[in-house]
Formats: sequence, structure tokens, C-alpha cells
Amino acid sequence: MASPSTKQKQKPKTQKTTPWNVIVLDDPVNLQTYVTMVFKKVFGYPQEKAEILMMEVHTVGRSVVWTGGREKAEMYVQQLHTWHLQTTMEKAV
Amino acid sequence: MTVTPTLEGGLAIEPGSETNWEILEMIAKDIGRPAHLAESLAGLMAEDSEWDEYVVPDLTVSFDQQSSYVAAVVKDARKKGQSAIFIKPIQAEKWYGAVNQARLALEARYKLSELEDFEDGAEELRSAYFRDRFYLILQSMLLEYVIDVA
Repeated sequence: MASPSTKQKQKPKTQKTTPWNVIVLDDPVNLQTYVTMVFKKVFGYPQEKAEILMMEVHTVGRSVVWTGGREKAEMYVQQLHTWHLQTTMEKAV
Repeated sequence: MTVTPTLEGGLAIEPGSETNWEILEMIAKDIGRPAHLAESLAGLMAEDSEWDEYVVPDLTVSFDQQSSYVAAVVKDARKKGQSAIFIKPIQAEKWYGAVNQARLALEARYKLSELEDFEDGAEELRSAYFRDRFYLILQSMLLEYVIDVA
């Protein structure tokens, strides 16, 4: 007699997608007002958040300005490049 | 050279001399090859991102449009003997973009932000420095009077 299958139905695994950070680097050319404006236009951030991120770029030399899925991160990097900001992306730890 | 806000919400640039017209013509010349900035930005990305293949061409077109536009406006105004160039609000981002490219190119070439002093005979460097200062003023006025930063 065949014993009932003990093979358990596996739960579908939730695809864990690694988040990516969009990072803006400091440069000596882009003006602070301009960088703040770009953050507002690209991400829709309010003035206060955009200014905080801009100041972080200016004082620390880099700032993680957005974190999320890879495709969207690439889209944001491309937009920031269009505005001449030195931008890269890396996997969030 | 005088740059003043206009009642229409733009800027008027009055060169006033042949030398100043030449400085305006230098915006496009300082930019040089617009692809250079696009390639430089792509250098910040991981090699497997294929940024060079998929993004650089579009960025180059965008940067070239800014540069070509300003070059054409200056050339046309000078040819027609205009006393001033008017930047309307709708044209401001192209102007800002072109001037920003010129400043980025000058910085890459001369490291002006690290400059402490001019050496004797460094005429090229001195000239680049003063063009950068003029471009900076033009950018600041565009942001203050023309471009909606809110």
C-alpha cells in the first residue's frame, strides 16, 4: 500500500529584492540652490528634505537620496545625470 | 557686460564690446564635446550597468541640445548686430544647462576650485578663471530671477 505522500507543498518563496541606494556625490560646480531644486523636481521632496540632503552632499561629500528597487533607482540616476549631478547607485546594506 | 532682469521675468545680457561677445561664444567652446560629460557621469556607474550603451547616447543628445542652442543664439544675435540677448523663462533651463556644462568642463580641465594663485604667465588659466566667474554670476541670476526653484 502506498503511503500517502509526505512531500509537503512548499510555500512560494517571497522574492527578496535587494534595495538599491541612489547616491549623489559632491562636486565644486553645482550650486546649492540648484541641487535643492533638482531633488525637489526629480523626487518630489519638500523644500526642507531637499535642503537637508543637499547639505549632506555638501558637507559629507555624498548623500543617499533615495532607496528602493533597482529599475527605479536606475531611472533616478539617469534623471540626476540629465541635471548634471554626479550620481551613482549601490546595493543597500 | 551687463546682465539685468527683465520685466518679462527673463534676463537681458548686453555684451557691450567685441571681447564680451567672444566670452559668450566661449560657452559652447568651453563645453567642447558634450559627450564628454555624459561619459564622465557614466564612469560613476558599475561596468555591468551598460550605462555607456543605453544612457550615454540620450544624455549626449540632451547636453548637445543645450550647447548648440546657446551657440546658435549667440551667433545669430552677433550676426544681426543686436545690442542684447534676451533669455526668456522658457529658455532659461537650456541656458543654465549650457553654462553649467561649460563650468563643469572648465573645472575638469583646470581644477579651478583648487586654485590658490595664478602663476606668472598663466594667461590661459586666468582667462578660464574669469570666464568661470562670469558663468557663475549668470547661473546665479538665472536661479534668482528666472528659473522657478520653488
